[in-house]
Amino acid sequence: MNLFDVLLNSGVAERPSDFLIFLGRIHPLVVHLPIGFLLLATLVELVVRKPKFRPLKNYTHYLWGLGSISAFVAVLFGYFLSLSGDYNENTLFWHKWLGIAVFLFSLVCYFVYKKQWKLPFYGRPILISLVVFTIFYTGHLGGNLTHGSTYLLEYAPNVVRNLAGMPDKAVPREKVTVLDSADVYLDLISPIMDRRCVSCHNDDKKKGDLDLTSYANLALGGENGEVVVPGDPNTSDLYRRITLPETHDDFMPTEGKPPLSDDEVAIISWWIQKNVPAEGYFTEMGPDEKMRDLVEKYLGLDKNNLLSQQVEVPNKAVVDSLLSYGFILNQLMMDNHFLEANFSLSEQELNDQALKTLFGLKDQIIWLNLSNSGIKNTHLEQVGQLENLIKLNLGSNTISDDGLAHLSQLQNLESINLYKTGVSDGLVWLIPKLPNLKRLYLSESKVDSATVAQLRKEYPDLKIVFEEKP
Amino acid sequence: MSKYHNFMQRPLSRREMLTICKGGFGSLAFMSLFGATTFSCSRSKTALDSSSNLLLGPHHLPKAKNVIFLYMDGGVSQVDSFDPKPRLAKENGQDPRKKFKVDATQFDNVGKILKSPWDFKQYGDCGMPVSDLFPHIATCVDDIALIRSMTSQFPEHTNANYFLHTGSGLQGRPSMGSWMTYGLGSENKNIPGYVVLDGGLIPPGGLDNFKNGFLPASYQASILRAGPQPVANIIPKENVPNLQERKLDFIKQLDDKQLEALGEADAIESAISNYELAYKMQSSIPELTEFKEETEATKKLYGFDSDDPHTRGYAAQCLLARRLVERGVRFIELTCPKVSADRWDQHGDLKDGHEKNAHAVDQPIAGLIKDLKSRGMLEETLVVWTGEFGRTPFAQGTDGRDHNPSAFSMWMAGAGIKGGTIFGRTDEYGYRVIENEVTVHDLHATIMHLMGIDHEHLTFRFGGRDMRLTDVHGHVIKDVLA
Repeated sequence: MNLFDVLLNSGVAERPSDFLIFLGRIHPLVVHLPIGFLLLATLVELVVRKPKFRPLKNYTHYLWGLGSISAFVAVLFGYFLSLSGDYNENTLFWHKWLGIAVFLFSLVCYFVYKKQWKLPFYGRPILISLVVFTIFYTGHLGGNLTHGSTYLLEYAPNVVRNLAGMPDKAVPREKVTVLDSADVYLDLISPIMDRRCVSCHNDDKKKGDLDLTSYANLALGGENGEVVVPGDPNTSDLYRRITLPETHDDFMPTEGKPPLSDDEVAIISWWIQKNVPAEGYFTEMGPDEKMRDLVEKYLGLDKNNLLSQQVEVPNKAVVDSLLSYGFILNQLMMDNHFLEANFSLSEQELNDQALKTLFGLKDQIIWLNLSNSGIKNTHLEQVGQLENLIKLNLGSNTISDDGLAHLSQLQNLESINLYKTGVSDGLVWLIPKLPNLKRLYLSESKVDSATVAQLRKEYPDLKIVFEEKP
Repeated sequence: MSKYHNFMQRPLSRREMLTICKGGFGSLAFMSLFGATTFSCSRSKTALDSSSNLLLGPHHLPKAKNVIFLYMDGGVSQVDSFDPKPRLAKENGQDPRKKFKVDATQFDNVGKILKSPWDFKQYGDCGMPVSDLFPHIATCVDDIALIRSMTSQFPEHTNANYFLHTGSGLQGRPSMGSWMTYGLGSENKNIPGYVVLDGGLIPPGGLDNFKNGFLPASYQASILRAGPQPVANIIPKENVPNLQERKLDFIKQLDDKQLEALGEADAIESAISNYELAYKMQSSIPELTEFKEETEATKKLYGFDSDDPHTRGYAAQCLLARRLVERGVRFIELTCPKVSADRWDQHGDLKDGHEKNAHAVDQPIAGLIKDLKSRGMLEETLVVWTGEFGRTPFAQGTDGRDHNPSAFSMWMAGAGIKGGTIFGRTDEYGYRVIENEVTVHDLHATIMHLMGIDHEHLTFRFGGRDMRLTDVHGHVIKDVLA
């Protein structure tokens, strides 16, 4: 009598008991026993011709027998696991029947070796090859069921992928560098889904009959219908499940996978409120200031993206000549070659040639300290070409507005120190040209307090340090 | 010649023989076998490092380049300075043992609950409460991140001092200033990278608080005293030109010879570099400690015109600290002035002692912060203010407070610090931490983080182990970072 019939007729398939599902979850464990036994048996068959291994000949049928019994257990547990559902049906069908084939083939092997049957025309090698082939192919299908069919070759070289009939690796979407170029689905929603959801909700492993790999599939919904209700996060099942208490049965992601961050939840909620757009620029959908800040932070755009670029190793000749001019060069981090150049401690005179040499490190130098260095307005022409500067200290120098005119190209500048310099109204012209400026030091300069008050009013985010003389 | 035998080569001792052999073929084979580098600091070499003038640099982009560590020797009382507790006033004079569990204290002379003799007011845009002890520091609260939940492992000065300075309660570990100069080097070749400005009180535990421990000897602190001659013999005594240089050359010749004979010897190598540095300091230090180019307004800001000589003294130390930062000195610690009362350690007469200590340091510290800020230097300078532990909310005797390592307050200002923040909480008596405890290891980790150092990766191999300032502890306190 067929075991499956028994199980089917008993109604187990429709309502599997917890205990059966528990056994089913052991399938990934026991499935490796037949693999080991049967491959060992094959190996023994290969070496047993050597005189050294000849004694093994009398025991090979035990190995086939063990393989066959464990294959049976694996098949049984695998069937229990399949009852809990949600696997790609086609793959599951082949995995199941090939698993049964492994069991049957290995059983035949057992009898062949136990009873010493003679097989015609290379019968034994063909049989063994069949066992090995079915083991590998069944195992492969099992892997596809668990990890998804693209898992194995996801990182394979394109040559291998093409052989398997797969397209070239998808070129990863370029990292967003400006908020205005962020696409609402491709740059925000899709990466969240990829990171948090698709390991269980994909084409092969469709938990809850839901596939979140693309917008179209998401729109199809799952077994309980649609998962997002345009415009209404609170009735959307997807939103409900990611915001439940973590201990709730319906909470997603399940099985101890890390929950979505607060920012991710907020982005999804906002996206549902905006009627789940499939495409379009984020900034054109009227996000409020808070949402813009949140997304900017989420995409890592609030940090200066200059620092995320890898710069070249500085030219040694340029470094040496700068050192001989009296500069101190400090490496600012270990995994990149950004530098600070400091002349404020030098006992030498700063000359034109030294400043021109700085240009040789214009990619690397992000901090420049020229305080108390005796620089003049004309020197600032060279400084103004160091376009990666983030911090610039020009304090205690006799420079004035004429010099500031050279600095308008410093688009990365976040901090400029003009303490005890002759600068005054020229700042009103310069500051709008420096989009990243955050801190400005003006104490003991020639600026009057009215100008500072005006600047403070116009640029509330700019921190201006200005102590008036008593 | 026999009387010069000290300078002549003598036969190798057994110990020296072994030392030299250990570096021989056997160890070469051993090293290559295990792929180990011969130096503990196995930081990746880049094209830049090949030039010896360049510093190794931090792990990540630093916020702070320099630290000014204002050490409040003896333990400031948290409930009288930065952690107001109205309940102490309400229950003043009651028996603390009826209110909460009282730990054993050093003198075990537990008195009644003692309310603070000072009033608290809110200051700045952030509204941080500060007691009347610190009216000047109170004007800087918007630049200050206050931590009210510090704890120490030791209730006694010496061990608590070692713990705060070296991350270990026992004598002998490298001081945090040594770690930082070891990790980052110093930009100024004419002044040591780690300087202690001695205000008059060397903390209990002595100079071991400022030692290099197992790090090379050149990373120990150099102590500058207050007054006209901050370092002994800083003015050369030779009146014949070149005589000093010739003497130094001769000493170096002898040292080199000795070094040749002994192989690697940190004591001699460091001595050679110390002589060189000392020579350079003879020109750099007098210029540093003369305040000629400082304006009257600046001096007034620090409190040079105060009636209190201790305020004037500490003001000079604070101004000196700023000048050291300007000259690229990495780590500067200020010890407390010796006022007529004891250090901040008021086991009795709390009001008088704390008032005198506070008066000496309050205006100079506020002046320092304001001056640094105005010059834009606060952007790269971290100012740290802390004692080694706190004091009890109940009296010792009638009018003092005993040691309390279970809670104390400290603050930081400047580079990378989120001004106007208050972090951590103590119970209603200010006796124990009840929220967000910050250990001394956490403080070290945070200071290092701001300096661009990952505290888990700045290590030195000693005694068979990769040693760290934070040992196996320490978490960066992200909440106080900007």
